Amino acid sequence: MAIQPTRRFSRTDWTHLGFLALPTLLFAVFYIYPVISSIRLSLHSWDGFAPTMRYVGFQNYLSLAQDTRFLGAVRNNVIWVAFMLVVPSGLGLLLAAILDRGIRGERAFRIIFFLPFTIPAVAVAAIWRWMYEPDNGLLTTVLDLVGLGGLAQNWLGDPGVVNYALMGAVAWWTTGFAFLVFFAGLRNVPVECIEAARIEGATPWQVFWKVSFPLLWPSTIIVLGMSAIDAMRLFDVVWATTRGGPAYSSDVLATLTYDLAFGRLEMGRATAVAVYLMAIAAVIIMPYIIYMSRRVQDSEAE
Amino acid sequence: MSTTLRQRQTVLTRTVLYGMAILFLAPLVVAVITSIKSPVEITRVLALPTEFYWQNYAAAISRMGRSFLNSIAITVPAVAFSILVGALAGYPLAYMRGSSGKVVYFLLLTGMLVPFQIVQIPLFFLVQRMGLHDTIPGMWMVHTAYAVPFCTFFMRNFFASVPRSMYEAALIDGCGPFLYFWKLLLPASASGLAALAIIQSRAIWNDLLFAITLTASDKARPVTVQIAGFASSLQVEYGPLMAATVISVVPVMAAYLLFQKSFVRGLLGGAGK
Repeated sequence: MAIQPTRRFSRTDWTHLGFLALPTLLFAVFYIYPVISSIRLSLHSWDGFAPTMRYVGFQNYLSLAQDTRFLGAVRNNVIWVAFMLVVPSGLGLLLAAILDRGIRGERAFRIIFFLPFTIPAVAVAAIWRWMYEPDNGLLTTVLDLVGLGGLAQNWLGDPGVVNYALMGAVAWWTTGFAFLVFFAGLRNVPVECIEAARIEGATPWQVFWKVSFPLLWPSTIIVLGMSAIDAMRLFDVVWATTRGGPAYSSDVLATLTYDLAFGRLEMGRATAVAVYLMAIAAVIIMPYIIYMSRRVQDSEAE
Repeated sequence: MSTTLRQRQTVLTRTVLYGMAILFLAPLVVAVITSIKSPVEITRVLALPTEFYWQNYAAAISRMGRSFLNSIAITVPAVAFSILVGALAGYPLAYMRGSSGKVVYFLLLTGMLVPFQIVQIPLFFLVQRMGLHDTIPGMWMVHTAYAVPFCTFFMRNFFASVPRSMYEAALIDGCGPFLYFWKLLLPASASGLAALAIIQSRAIWNDLLFAITLTASDKARPVTVQIAGFASSLQVEYGPLMAATVISVVPVMAAYLLFQKSFVRGLLGGAGK
């Protein structure tokens, strides 16, 4: 070879940098630039059409902090994070643990539990609007049939009920992902560990919590991380089902931003909401990202 | 443990399992049944249809226009591009030593916490200035770009599970790092690529946010935007809506059923690491 590669920067290093060029360029253009541009826009008042934007300083942020609609959306987002971390993950783990015990028809169950996860959010919205239809929907009909008609609600029309109704639909939609990741993880647990525990006289309950669950950590961390990310980004299902209504009761920060930007053309205020959303997401998700990028070093050290 | 207790446990787990299976299937079954019912029968939700009312599907197809084809034209190339870019980034990040690789990896991962709402407005103007607003290539570009963090994460972990000795042996044999990637690493990662393809098909086919922001007409509008449009009208006709929903659900569901073996295997290699 004509050129002797220098010790610090070899041909391999240059190839690596070449591979990274396109992804980092896309990242710079579609993540870094728009985020900086949005932070700047959030300090202005602008309708999206006027040739100039009016600088208003932190006024958008200050007025939002006293806006009940905004505060309601923040509260809903926090509740969604808690819900997404607990319910679909817990249910997915339960189903995976049951199915892992070797049950006839395992393949069929695996498909059934995962199927809802494959469908689009708008389809989830359409199907559940029909499930929740207050007069003829499946839920009301079944409750009437078993004599519990008194429990029927105006599921999506009552501000006190709508968020729980949406959570039911989302649990149906996303549990499949948690289920499959846990199921795959359980299949990775070495049989010898479980056998050893059984021989020592552990009950199935003990085997699961003392042996399988700790070894499931890689699956758990994926499920919880993805759930938190999805909960902060939650938009499609809520928008397609209720548009944040009735009376803003099911608003989350993402639907609020969309409505302010493209419904009311308050671009500055809308981006201020989005900046708040990113700040909250950073607090919740940053530890996860730091953990994930640290884990890399661990795995290479092995 | 006594046999009766074990039997009782089995009965309990069976009951939970079948109960959950019914809960998971019921909405899908009701949607399919509703889609073939006539307007008169539709309100009796538990009754089976007496005839196959195909007019719902005719109405759905005419309302969906070419949005279904748009969805296919957007999804297939965008999935391929996003996986390719994820593999491009994942490869050096899995093999680079030293801190610079870790810094880049961390930076790309932070993209996962960025809510898409914060990029939405500048993105709209950016895509417009590029002349790609309301075009299918514009959607390819956007879906590829916003997939960078997750696809990098996934492919990097998958590549890291491929034995490093293979890489070192290839370099010693005079195979350059580029040829190694193309001739050895990608073929060895088929199951990971398939799993990511399924995840990406779902994410891109199902997307609503980017599509409502960046498409404006039949030229590029995908099926999700079209359905959201007629699902949220005040007087919803559930027959045609359910027919359209069923049509929109089929491609990703079929893809998953076809590739589920490699999906589970790939998930283990990538996410399980």
